[in-house]
Amino acid sequence: MRTTRPHRRLAAAAAPALVAVLALTACAGGSGSAASDGATSTDGSTAGATGDPVEGGRLRLAYFPDNAAFACVDPFQTYWIEHRTVIRNYADSLTDQDPETGEIVPWLATSWTVDDAGTEYTFDLRTDVTFSDGTAFGPEAVKTAFDSHAAVLQELPTAYGGVYLAGYESTEVVDADTVVIRFSTPNAAFLQGTSTTNLAVLAPASYAKTPEERCLGDVVGSGPFVLDSYTPGEGISLSKRDGYAWGSELRENTGEAYLDGIDITYVAEDSVRIGQLTSGAIDIAWPRQPITENDQALVTANGAQLVSRSLPGPANNLYPNLSEGKVLAEADVRRALQKAIDRQTYASTVFGADYPAVTSIYDTTTPGYVDHSENLAHDPDGAAELLEDAGWALEDDGYRYRDGQRLRLSTPVVQGFTAGDQLIQDQLKAVGIDLQLDVITQAQRSDVLSSGDYDLISTYYTRADPGVIQWIVDSRYAGSKAQADNALTPEQAAQVQALLDEGTTTTDPDARAEVYGELQDLYLDEALAFPTFERVQTAALAADVHGFRFTSESFGDFAGTWIGDAS
Amino acid sequence: MTLALTRPAPAVASGDEGLLTDGPDGPDGDEGRRRGRRRPLEGRAARRATTARLLLRRPGFLVALAFVVLVVVSALAPGLFTSADPYATAPIDKLLPPGPGHPFGTDELGRDLFSRVLHGGLLTVQAVGLALVLALVVGLTLGVVAGFVGGWVDAVVMRAVDVLLAIPGLLLALAIVTAIGYGTVPVAVAVGIGIVPGFARTTRAEVLRVRTLPYVEAARTGGASWGRVLLRHVLPNSWGPVAVLAVLDLGAAVIAVAALSFLGFGAAPPAAEWGTLISTGRSYLVTSPWLSLLPGVFVGLLVLGLNHVARTLEEVQR
Repeated sequence: MRTTRPHRRLAAAAAPALVAVLALTACAGGSGSAASDGATSTDGSTAGATGDPVEGGRLRLAYFPDNAAFACVDPFQTYWIEHRTVIRNYADSLTDQDPETGEIVPWLATSWTVDDAGTEYTFDLRTDVTFSDGTAFGPEAVKTAFDSHAAVLQELPTAYGGVYLAGYESTEVVDADTVVIRFSTPNAAFLQGTSTTNLAVLAPASYAKTPEERCLGDVVGSGPFVLDSYTPGEGISLSKRDGYAWGSELRENTGEAYLDGIDITYVAEDSVRIGQLTSGAIDIAWPRQPITENDQALVTANGAQLVSRSLPGPANNLYPNLSEGKVLAEADVRRALQKAIDRQTYASTVFGADYPAVTSIYDTTTPGYVDHSENLAHDPDGAAELLEDAGWALEDDGYRYRDGQRLRLSTPVVQGFTAGDQLIQDQLKAVGIDLQLDVITQAQRSDVLSSGDYDLISTYYTRADPGVIQWIVDSRYAGSKAQADNALTPEQAAQVQALLDEGTTTTDPDARAEVYGELQDLYLDEALAFPTFERVQTAALAADVHGFRFTSESFGDFAGTWIGDAS
Repeated sequence: MTLALTRPAPAVASGDEGLLTDGPDGPDGDEGRRRGRRRPLEGRAARRATTARLLLRRPGFLVALAFVVLVVVSALAPGLFTSADPYATAPIDKLLPPGPGHPFGTDELGRDLFSRVLHGGLLTVQAVGLALVLALVVGLTLGVVAGFVGGWVDAVVMRAVDVLLAIPGLLLALAIVTAIGYGTVPVAVAVGIGIVPGFARTTRAEVLRVRTLPYVEAARTGGASWGRVLLRHVLPNSWGPVAVLAVLDLGAAVIAVAALSFLGFGAAPPAAEWGTLISTGRSYLVTSPWLSLLPGVFVGLLVLGLNHVARTLEEVQR
């Protein structure tokens, strides 16, 4: 299922509003029928497309706080979900991916061929595209971009785009509108990679800057907006690109953006952000964690709209530390832990009654996702039995002990968001596992990882390709090598890496899906990851914001967005 | 009275008119002295009775005192007041408004808020107690040494205290807690260090006054060592005002501890200090206001109560 379900609550709240709009437009003799596809459409495409788009106005958007560890808006380097939305709006990619079908469609490249081995990608490019500094887009620009990526990877091996470029060899300009990108080893995920924000193509002048300069906003793209300024931790300002005419076919508006610009701020408090939205101080509230049930009620009560879509990629999983001497090196304890987590209750308690429970190590919008809900069923009795058989006996204090040692796991949690962790803590307590929550700051996370002083740690990564899990668990590519090393025993790592390699070298989509199906089986049979919740990107839009679209990676696309009358 | 007991009694009647001069209330207290010096004792007992009468005539004081005592008792033995487990989640019962069964309602995971407030009280009482003890010990030591030794030692210690005074208390506490980590003890240490300067300054001022008094000179002339003079004569006669300051600072310390735990520096979850409860409840302020407001009112009343008790004691002594 690629689309999220519409919010019933929203539909209910929108109904009276629609009646009002219909009544008004009937009086005015306007296009009343257009109102019927108003705020209720939340399934990944457009939201609130009422009437004809109105030009002008600046969109005010509030994110949750900026990345304190790595402030960056450079497409190739950043992993920050919020900034990838920004990139989607100021830079274009060679291809685009249909959120509904996962199909790759033309964008800056009009057509492409892939050789059978999956090592040679030939792109025919558009010739009418220019960057916002006036330079023309063409094969040379693509070559500059990819060569720069390779250079950045030499310098900063953990740069985020690396996972898209495994085995990159060279780029060759064939003629005025053709470019060939070659890989030394097959890279089947590369075509999807070209549709991502991370491989968006910037103007050659941008690549003359240092990676740090690009991170801090010295970037020129060819998108419907131009990045005017980026002040880490404070805000981002984008303005409309005049003369834009090369939007992907997935956009309803392939021409100039309707908005004059976008002003982005960072707001730490969820309640403040929602309050700003309901009071009209901002147009879009875009949090990282899903909007809670009671905030959703506030949003809909104020006539604003909710949009949501599962972020593709690994779900919010806890990855174990399997290194020598850790409790979770024992498979039975891991299986018991998997059974002890009640995901249905987690979703409905922490995020609301309509929230989907996680059903695999991947979110449902990930290509290759297979429903594994039977492996993730809540079975406290089964968990207790496994632990009992493994010699962990229940003592009077409600916890299990073996050889006088308590069954204790520790997990670092970042200040602020702990309700879900405390729920899991209590669920584990029910089977006798003592889960310690060590509160840390975001900045301490890498220290914890490198010291290995944890049993479970949660992480995720967003990309509409299942191979992205490499970035977490495959120590050859992982962002945190320490975490990847801890997450698997050497034998398991060999097994997993073999599957991942097969995935990246198999070009046939069905065969690839099978490989990643196997990977999910392996992960859940061995209990090597503990999914806690499906990551759903939710955003609250003011009633007068129309034409919003989620990309295939659940980022925001504002090219067709306009501010009109309240729907 | 409970509060009077918390005040260290002067070992020697010093004639300090500004202070309560009641000794330990126990019958085994100063039997010897009682027999030997009849007159002063009667005077002291009479004064104590007058003070008690004055206090009893103030209903506001009694109410405040009763609330403070209730909070302390409930913090030390929460089981007396609630049988609910503060950590047991019950998702079906989440965000229930206050009502029978849940006097303060339930939080976002269905935990009983009343029970969480009471259990959180123990953490807060511990933190406040530890902070005050730390401030007293360090503040008294610094003050006595600075005041008694004088000279360059005084200058160095007092300049250090000046520096501490120059930094806003909460900022100092934040810096300390960030450096030494999260939890009840670090929060207590941070708050304690934040109020040390006040104690050091007050003690030093008293010591400077006391050390010039004739009986100190007499003790020296009588052959007592400096250490003995310091411990037996100067210290007991200087800590009176510091004790008053300690009572006054109780309320401030409660607020400081709550502020730090509000900012997320408190005990590790699922344990929750009052500040943590207020902090997590604030996301639900519009839809479930009791989550933040009830713990907030609880803390507010306690601080008001403490301040009222301290001020009343101060007034009655005059």
